[in-house]
Amino acid sequence: MEPFLSKLLAASLIPPFLTFWILVLWGPKIGKPRAGWVGLIGGMGLPLLLSTIVFVTWFFTGPEQRDALTSAAQNSQVLWSQLGDFKVTFGVKLDSLTVAIHFMVCFIAFWIFFFSIGYMAGHSDCVHHQSKYWRFFAYLALFGFSMLGLVISPSLLFLFIFWELVGLCSYLLIGFYFDTDYAPPAAMKAFITNRVGDFGFIIGLGIVFTFLGTLDLEGAAAAFKTQLAAGTGLFAKTVSVPILGWSFSGMTLATLMGIGLFCGAMGKSAQFPLHVWLPDAMAGPTPVSALIHAATMVAAGVYLVARVFRLLTPDAQMFVAVIGCITLTFMALIAIVQTDIKKCLAYSTLSQLGYMIFGMGVGAWTAALFHLVTHAFFKAMLFLGSGQVIEGCHHVQDMRRMGGLKSKMPVTCWTFFIGVLAIAGTGIPGFHIGDLRFGLGGFFSKDEILAVAYDRAFNWGRFESGGEHAAAQNGGWQIANSEREEASESVSLAAFSAQHKTAQPKGAPELAEQDAHAKQEGRTGEANGHGAGTAQEAGGHGAEEGHGGAAAHHASAKDPVAAGMKALPKWMFLFAIITAYITPFYMFRAWWLTFMGKPRDPHVHEHAHESKMMTLPLAVLAVGTLVASYALFRPMLAHAAPVAADAPLVVAVDGEAHDPAASLIALDHSADRNPHSKLVTIVGFSFLVGFAVAWLVYRKGLGIAERLKNTFPLNYLHTLLEHKYYFDELYGFLWVRGCRGVAAVCGFIDTWVIDLVYNLLSSVTERLAAFTGRVLDAQGVDGFVNGISETADDLAEALRRPQTGGIRKYVLWTVGIGTAVIAAFLLAPYGESAWTVVAERLGFGTHGG
Amino acid sequence: MLAIGLIHYLIIAAVLFCAGVFTMVTKRNAIGILIGVELVLNSANVNLIAFDRYHGKGAMDGQIAALFVIVLAAAEAAIAVAICMNFYKNLVTVDVDQGDALRG
Repeated sequence: MEPFLSKLLAASLIPPFLTFWILVLWGPKIGKPRAGWVGLIGGMGLPLLLSTIVFVTWFFTGPEQRDALTSAAQNSQVLWSQLGDFKVTFGVKLDSLTVAIHFMVCFIAFWIFFFSIGYMAGHSDCVHHQSKYWRFFAYLALFGFSMLGLVISPSLLFLFIFWELVGLCSYLLIGFYFDTDYAPPAAMKAFITNRVGDFGFIIGLGIVFTFLGTLDLEGAAAAFKTQLAAGTGLFAKTVSVPILGWSFSGMTLATLMGIGLFCGAMGKSAQFPLHVWLPDAMAGPTPVSALIHAATMVAAGVYLVARVFRLLTPDAQMFVAVIGCITLTFMALIAIVQTDIKKCLAYSTLSQLGYMIFGMGVGAWTAALFHLVTHAFFKAMLFLGSGQVIEGCHHVQDMRRMGGLKSKMPVTCWTFFIGVLAIAGTGIPGFHIGDLRFGLGGFFSKDEILAVAYDRAFNWGRFESGGEHAAAQNGGWQIANSEREEASESVSLAAFSAQHKTAQPKGAPELAEQDAHAKQEGRTGEANGHGAGTAQEAGGHGAEEGHGGAAAHHASAKDPVAAGMKALPKWMFLFAIITAYITPFYMFRAWWLTFMGKPRDPHVHEHAHESKMMTLPLAVLAVGTLVASYALFRPMLAHAAPVAADAPLVVAVDGEAHDPAASLIALDHSADRNPHSKLVTIVGFSFLVGFAVAWLVYRKGLGIAERLKNTFPLNYLHTLLEHKYYFDELYGFLWVRGCRGVAAVCGFIDTWVIDLVYNLLSSVTERLAAFTGRVLDAQGVDGFVNGISETADDLAEALRRPQTGGIRKYVLWTVGIGTAVIAAFLLAPYGESAWTVVAERLGFGTHGG
Repeated sequence: MLAIGLIHYLIIAAVLFCAGVFTMVTKRNAIGILIGVELVLNSANVNLIAFDRYHGKGAMDGQIAALFVIVLAAAEAAIAVAICMNFYKNLVTVDVDQGDALRG
């Protein structure tokens, strides 16, 4: 069965890849409507079929069997290439995370492909007034191949390769309308910004490669653990990083590695400060925005963090959390002032991605991934809804010109509303019948992230070592996987803990204390109290409570690590809460401005229409948003959690009551410290507040908003938000202008220094060449050669002349020369006196004859 | 009375030779040139026979050589006349000055 499942996953890559080539090579021949169907069936239909088989099989497989399958797939990897001792293997990652995300990608992509056929049926596929229909589906198929490959990659190397491929597809599809003046720069911006992130990613990969010696995810995690225990490799040295005069000394290489790998995620998931490309990416066709820039590719960053979670140190985790927190808050604020329906959704996506990254950072591993899945469903649907609106309104994207579209587009209106409810976290807080709770996807996933954040911020340090029951009685956190750790490891990890804390001076206990702590093989009240940082008082309290427990049970290996971790700064939790109030507001605003109220532009309203082809995917995804995500994906992702928890340095993996044994720190639901019950009062009804405020402001159209916009101090805030905190301007000034400035200096140096030298050299060379060419060669060598040829020519001319062809002349010459030769022979013996002899013989001589 | 000696024959041969050469040089008619050639050959024959007569060792070498020359001259005449025929065929004349296609 194992080879069967992993082969199915591997096979799901083949149809999209072939479809891509078929459409590239024979696209125009296949023609307009048919190419779309080829793309749908080949590009996503067949993978969805395979993925469904895998998903269903996996869903009905027991946990032990799943683990066996995972390790079997891990062990059946094939050697791809070997460089010295370094082996690159390839295979298929088969675990709950891969299966869940693979199915999610296939399912959503299939319906977006379906939607695309409807979206592209009109003139939306025209570039330069020519149909580029087949090209669009070829790109989509290539994206399907890349994204599925990314999900099933067991090795960081292959993950990186597919990572770049999805980046390429994103670039190609953002720039699909390359005849416009906004799409090509947007595509370039996306690509270049991603390069910045990928630079960090490559540094991270380099550190993994150098110190962990393998790029395989499991292998790297294992090596990480070994090196941590032994204090070698990655953990042997601390590095100093001087940036702008500050020196971040005492940072382990491992932290740098984690931050480096996270940089890749920052680029792909558009996290602050690399968020600038995603809003511009809305230049692409709307189905692309839904698929790549909302549901799947941008979530790949979160997926990457989930995959390398075991390689993160507490410091790196905190970095992730801070970045996520900044992104989720500030991007949500921008969404309030957006008037372009797609841009509004884009900022919402940024904010939600920030939520996921924030969740990862605070250790809410399962919750973040769950939020990824629920978000993928409702955001894909929202984007498709906006695509329906845009296509229906003939590419009007400005919400100020819409309004009252409900009557024209009922299905879109209500599916969009379901999406709004889901993203706002609508549910019935604090109410449940047995285990059954009521709410939409976002209600659960957001609540879980916030619950972990709440515990990290307020309950941190009250954890209790020992068995689950003791912890539950004390009403605190528990370190649940203590049974799974070997006692011997516990010693070495405690030893590491000492080292780790020297590398992290703030909030860390003294070395001496830590040594004592290591000897005791357990956590003392003092160590805990110091380690808890800002939650010191609470921590001390918790430790006192736990003292008896610590004596009774052997300590968890991760206790020291947990003790060394700082509590989450409270402002971060506060930011997340504020955003939970902002999100319903701007989403309701977008929905109300688009569909409700009176039509503000009669022209747009008159022509608006709904396409059948496009309403079906909306309906399907709406159903998925309503029911599927919690029932199907949540348990599976919870099952995947131990994969992340089985790491020495990771402390806060959200436990959840669903599978306490799988988690490191389980949230327990006892009455006094249950974060969920706290959250009910803090944030449980935020969606109602947000909706109400939005309704009050926008129920009569834009009038109130206009007035608010112009009152102090909101006018300044509005300007700030409208300019997106001037990040584009800042980057334009810093990087673009900076680059141009550097280029100008380089150009100056090039012109006046390098060119000067080159010109000098070239003129010298030229003179030399003139001398050798004109003098040595032309006159010397050529003169000699030409001289020979001219001599031969002259000789030939001389010999040619007598050849008159006149036979009588030949005779004359022959006779003449013959006579002369004979005469010479006869007279030669007489030398100078020859004439005398002749004269004598002829009788003229003095002697007579 | 001057006895007829070798020198007289040689003079006759020289005269013949000169007449032949003169003919060859002056005649433009190919047949005339052939006649000149015959004269030259015959002058050689006279020389051969005369030298054999006065200085030979009685083996008649000169006479035999002369016979060879006569035979060769016949053969040569046959070939030469054939050439003349072709010459005429090509140029519609037997004027050798017209046949200067091989000039340099």
